[in-house]
Amino acid sequence: MKKLFYTMIFLLLSVAPLWGAAAKIEVFPSAPYARYIIYESLAIFWLFIISLIVIIKLKLREIARTQKLGINREAAPIPQLE
Amino acid sequence: MKIDYSLITRRRFLNTLFGGWLTAFSAGALYAVGKFAFPTLGKEPDFVVLKAADYMNLAPNTTKLFAWGGKPGIFFRKADGAILAIKGVCTHMECNVTYKPAERKFYCACHQGWFDENGQNIKGPPPKPLEIFVHTIEGDKLIVARKGVKVELPKA
Amino acid sequence: MNFRRLKNWFTDRYDFSDLVKLAQSKTVPVHSGDFLYYTGGMILFLIGLQFITGMILAFYYVPHPDFAHKSIVEIVTKLHLGWFFRSFHHWGAQLTLLFLFIHLFGTLLVKSYRKPREFIWFTGFILLGILIFFGLSGYLLLWDERALAGVKVATGGVKALPLVGTFLMAFLRGGVDVTGETLTRFYAFHVAVLPLVTLFLIGLHVLLVQYHGMSIPLREEKNNPASIPFFPNVFYHDLIVWLLLLGVTVTLAVFFPPEIGIKADPLAPTPENIKPEWYFLFVFQTLKLFPGEILGLNGEVIAILLIVTAMGLLFLLPLFDKKSSRGEASPLFTWISVGYIAYIVTMTIVGYLS
Repeated sequence: MKKLFYTMIFLLLSVAPLWGAAAKIEVFPSAPYARYIIYESLAIFWLFIISLIVIIKLKLREIARTQKLGINREAAPIPQLE
Repeated sequence: MKIDYSLITRRRFLNTLFGGWLTAFSAGALYAVGKFAFPTLGKEPDFVVLKAADYMNLAPNTTKLFAWGGKPGIFFRKADGAILAIKGVCTHMECNVTYKPAERKFYCACHQGWFDENGQNIKGPPPKPLEIFVHTIEGDKLIVARKGVKVELPKA
Repeated sequence: MNFRRLKNWFTDRYDFSDLVKLAQSKTVPVHSGDFLYYTGGMILFLIGLQFITGMILAFYYVPHPDFAHKSIVEIVTKLHLGWFFRSFHHWGAQLTLLFLFIHLFGTLLVKSYRKPREFIWFTGFILLGILIFFGLSGYLLLWDERALAGVKVATGGVKALPLVGTFLMAFLRGGVDVTGETLTRFYAFHVAVLPLVTLFLIGLHVLLVQYHGMSIPLREEKNNPASIPFFPNVFYHDLIVWLLLLGVTVTLAVFFPPEIGIKADPLAPTPENIKPEWYFLFVFQTLKLFPGEILGLNGEVIAILLIVTAMGLLFLLPLFDKKSSRGEASPLFTWISVGYIAYIVTMTIVGYLS
């Protein structure tokens, strides 16, 4: 991950000394190598999110299982000796 | 090899997996935010290019300031005529120094530090001499660079 | 990591048991319309993200007419991931407003505004206005010619209100025209005034929801739907929805970064074919429908008055809908709601296509 970000930084900085500014302001890095890194990071990001969602679904399944077993039910009041 | 009991409870496994992944995810996001929030602009340059004509006609024992990033650079013609380009920043706590022609010394007002004509720290708290730059003339340009930096002018 | 000891450190000093009981008692009903329950949380999440991205963008943005445009260009071209955070802030704003409208239309149709939840409706409606103003003020900060023209039109419309119009417009613009003063003022609104007001109103809005509990649509009420606990079940469902929302926002930010137009010049002529942002289109289209003069009165004034009245009636809707307050079916107001929604949606589409 670190390498990706550092390469992106390097590319962004190397674009800086452009004599005679471009007529169209670049709102997105134009160098093809930078674009590739960005799309790849996006794919990895989505993988992260999907796996996190899968883990949450696993947790929910477990919660449903334990709730069906009755973990939430209040215990009957135990008669006290007083 | 099958074991009769589980080494870890379902709860512990799931919570660790969830917590760990969430930490990794947040760390990545925070890294991106941090990289953006921490400034990179305003770093000190490795060299600056100046107009030679402005600086070469100084009277002896006078100085002229030039910009070194956000800090002052001092272009100095000594009393004996030799030229020195130094960073006008005190090596103690980074206050700006000034030249006092009467005493032929550089003075830092913050903690009364003194440097001689050659940038050597002679009195007060500064631990090191002032940083000295290498200066060259190329045509009509005066190039002041940090020692050891290879100057490559961009193709204008 | 010994969580038990950490927990004991706190419980030795503070008694959380009441809070824990309160949190565990929160339940969410399960029925066919319960997907609407998620819209509020999504808006909250998006607003949180907007606060964060807005704060870091504010580190670099310069709110002066001579430097505003340049500072944004620098953010986008020179800083690490600057383009991304600006794009994300833009798309976060668009999605917040989109889900705001969905939330509004949803609660309108299922009548969750009915007794006893009228104040939730009122605070929510004010929040809608505030968040739209967030959008408008943020839009001007780019200080390109489109933004300048858009804000001129939007604030100019206010002048048509009788009595208070000119005063209100001068307050918003910081003068008679849209100038650098307007930029400073809108910046103050966008980063200081509006966030504080929003935090207060959202706090009130959410607190009232906790107090009253989740509303159940009238036709579901008789079925007496079962409930599931919020912690942990619905909380995790919320988290999944939020993660997907984050993914969608990031993807939109990467694939469709917003343009930066040329720097605004208050003296230059208005560019052709300018249109306001999509959430203003229905107002814009409505204004276009009215002729310049009706019966000797200024057409624009009448149009603005009608729009303000319509919004005012919508704001006060819970007070008019007596039947649903009693818990009875209220088909008249369902049709009124459908009318409002259909009008807004149609006018927005027409405005977009023309």
